[in-house]
Amino acid sequence: MNTFKPAPDRAPPSQTVGPIAWVRDNLFSSIGNAVLTIAVIALLVINIPPLISWAFLDANWTGTTEADCVKEGACWVFVSAWSNQFLYGSYPEAELYRIHLMLLVLLGVIVSSFTLPKTIRMKASITMWLALPVVGIAVLDGRMLGLPVVSTDLWGGFTLNIFMAAASIIVAFPFSFLWALGRRSDMPFIRTVSTIFIEFFRGVPVLSLFFMGSVMLPLFFEQGTNVDKLIRVWLVLIFFMSGYMAEVFRGGFQAVPSGQYEAADSIGLSFWQKTLLIILPQVIKVSMPNILATFVMLFKNTTFLLIIGIPEVVQTLQTALANSFWLGGHALEGYLFVFLVFWASCFGMSVLARRIEQQMNTDKRA
Amino acid sequence: MFKQKTLEETKAAQRRSTGQSSAASFYNNPSVRSLFYQVALIAGLLYFFGNIIGNTLANMEATGIKTGFDFLDSAAGYDVLMSLISFESQDTYLRVFVVGFLNTLLVSAIGIVFATMLGFLFGVMHFSKNLLVRKLAQVYVELFRNVPLLLQVFFWYFAVLASLPSARQSLSLGEAFFLNVRGLYMPKLVGGDLSEWVWVALGAAIVGVFFLRRWAKARQDATGQQFPVFYASLGMVIGAPLLVALLTGLPFTIEFPVLKGFNYFGGISVIPELMALAIALSVYTGAFIAEAVRAGVQAVPHGQTEAARSIGLREDKIMKLIIVPQAMRVIVPLLNSEYQSLVKNSTLAAAIGYPDLFNVFVGTALNQTGQAIETIFMTIIVYFVVNMVISFLMNRFNNAVALVSR
Repeated sequence: MNTFKPAPDRAPPSQTVGPIAWVRDNLFSSIGNAVLTIAVIALLVINIPPLISWAFLDANWTGTTEADCVKEGACWVFVSAWSNQFLYGSYPEAELYRIHLMLLVLLGVIVSSFTLPKTIRMKASITMWLALPVVGIAVLDGRMLGLPVVSTDLWGGFTLNIFMAAASIIVAFPFSFLWALGRRSDMPFIRTVSTIFIEFFRGVPVLSLFFMGSVMLPLFFEQGTNVDKLIRVWLVLIFFMSGYMAEVFRGGFQAVPSGQYEAADSIGLSFWQKTLLIILPQVIKVSMPNILATFVMLFKNTTFLLIIGIPEVVQTLQTALANSFWLGGHALEGYLFVFLVFWASCFGMSVLARRIEQQMNTDKRA
Repeated sequence: MFKQKTLEETKAAQRRSTGQSSAASFYNNPSVRSLFYQVALIAGLLYFFGNIIGNTLANMEATGIKTGFDFLDSAAGYDVLMSLISFESQDTYLRVFVVGFLNTLLVSAIGIVFATMLGFLFGVMHFSKNLLVRKLAQVYVELFRNVPLLLQVFFWYFAVLASLPSARQSLSLGEAFFLNVRGLYMPKLVGGDLSEWVWVALGAAIVGVFFLRRWAKARQDATGQQFPVFYASLGMVIGAPLLVALLTGLPFTIEFPVLKGFNYFGGISVIPELMALAIALSVYTGAFIAEAVRAGVQAVPHGQTEAARSIGLREDKIMKLIIVPQAMRVIVPLLNSEYQSLVKNSTLAAAIGYPDLFNVFVGTALNQTGQAIETIFMTIIVYFVVNMVISFLMNRFNNAVALVSR
């Protein structure tokens, strides 16, 4: 008996599979697209090779002074000669281990608040985070630990940007949570005060806040009190950040289903038990991507410290560019370097935010 | 009567028998608690602000800083780099304030226009069928969104514009536009006699377009006939002023910038500070707007496109009539906040010396008068008001594009 044997499938037309089809679909799907493709390729061909030869092939990589930059291309010697300033400001070289230590501690706290066993994770990480600014000031300043004192006008560079941003978000976190709660409160006066606070710090240009911190704030203290400039700026960053984060948290509160509140009420939890044990963990989880986005904004805004004369990384770059031994016009190299450093950190954080968001999406589907 | 009495008696008995619980119920009472919290907050705030105000007054007295707004009438005594209205160093601080305000409005308006154009261009490019175009849009967004704006302002100002050639070697376009290290020079249209009638005609044409659109929509609703509104409007807006200009004998002369000595004179000149700030603001905010546009288009369910195809609409009509109106509902609120942050970010002018409100007032005027509180608050209020106006306009616009639900 003849069994039915289907003829083998014919191969798809050669023009619909493989690289040719891919090129046709993605680059030349219509006349307009073909023109666009050629235009973009032409643009790249014209611009990329000179850029590569400037940045790599003809660039000067080794040396210590401007005289070592003999070739046509970029003078990366400028960046390497000033790299300590760019990263650490005028922090004494013998004490740099303290900055490295704090960076490691910061990294450790971040990692451990995601990896500790779940039974102790919440309490341990909250304790670590809140202790972090105190430890940081103690280590970097050195007074409290009996180390050589490094006064705050020597702090600077990119690490200052990192530390200021981190220290601000940590302190702003509990505050912004309270402001968000206040704005949702039934008590009219508390609600009004919270709303005014939040809207003020969100509605005002950040720069004017920094000016307030540097010019107006000293007027508010009793005569004779001299508060460190960096601490005043820190206060400003905390207020600014808590205004923005309060709105993030408010969105998070609204995203928690009301059944959660009712369930917590029905098992007889008090207001703070309900808020801290049931609602807050869910709020943080929901708002994690937005918290990261707000942090990226804060981190970018730490460059504004330059306006009131604090030597963060862009300020150190400006100083280096004005140095009389380096007057050969290295603005492009310097700005590209700082550009790249910021871009890498901020882009990394936004990729992380997107990944967290995706993870949460799958959670919902399961 | 009898029942009520029992009830009261029972309550009283309860209160007597559990003496503690009545006290407990007093401070567990939510309304008592909320009253207590609020009174405590008021007391705390009063103490806090009383302290601050007391300290501030004492400090200002000790350092001899004056208070009040009298300084606004005194002569400023310094020059401003760029001014849209006439300004001399003998003018008052109030005039400095106005000059700065106009400069802020100028850079914000330029920024908003170009950021919107860039944002929509790159946002739509994200949906191109062309892979390279798509990637280009992604690179633009990720590159400029993730770098501090201040750094970008400096980059354009110190690294790009400062490396332009000197006036004698200017880059020129058709001997009319010149770009050099001192700025951008453009030809200017100078109106002679009767030229104001051309502007009147332009205004009338714009009003006419508004009524034409209403008429065309009413007719289409009634009869289904379409009217070529776009081409008719274009014809009116270009044609009417042109016709009037021809009738009045072309009352315009074009003033070209001319090289005299070391610089160009005449025409419109744009200082590099303004250029750097405007470019940086547009490019930075444009990246955020591109993301908003992408989110808006992605928020329109794909079923809408399929439904539109199934009733036989052309691809360009689908975009214009189906996708964009729905995407606008998501885009407009985001645009609102991006515009507001652009205005706030324009204060970065202070970093490169463009004389915006913040720079001339909180920067220089504060330094000269020492009156920190007055100058900072006057400035802050302006930014609040400008942002409120933007918010009001965008909300009106939002209501126009919002889903009308029955």
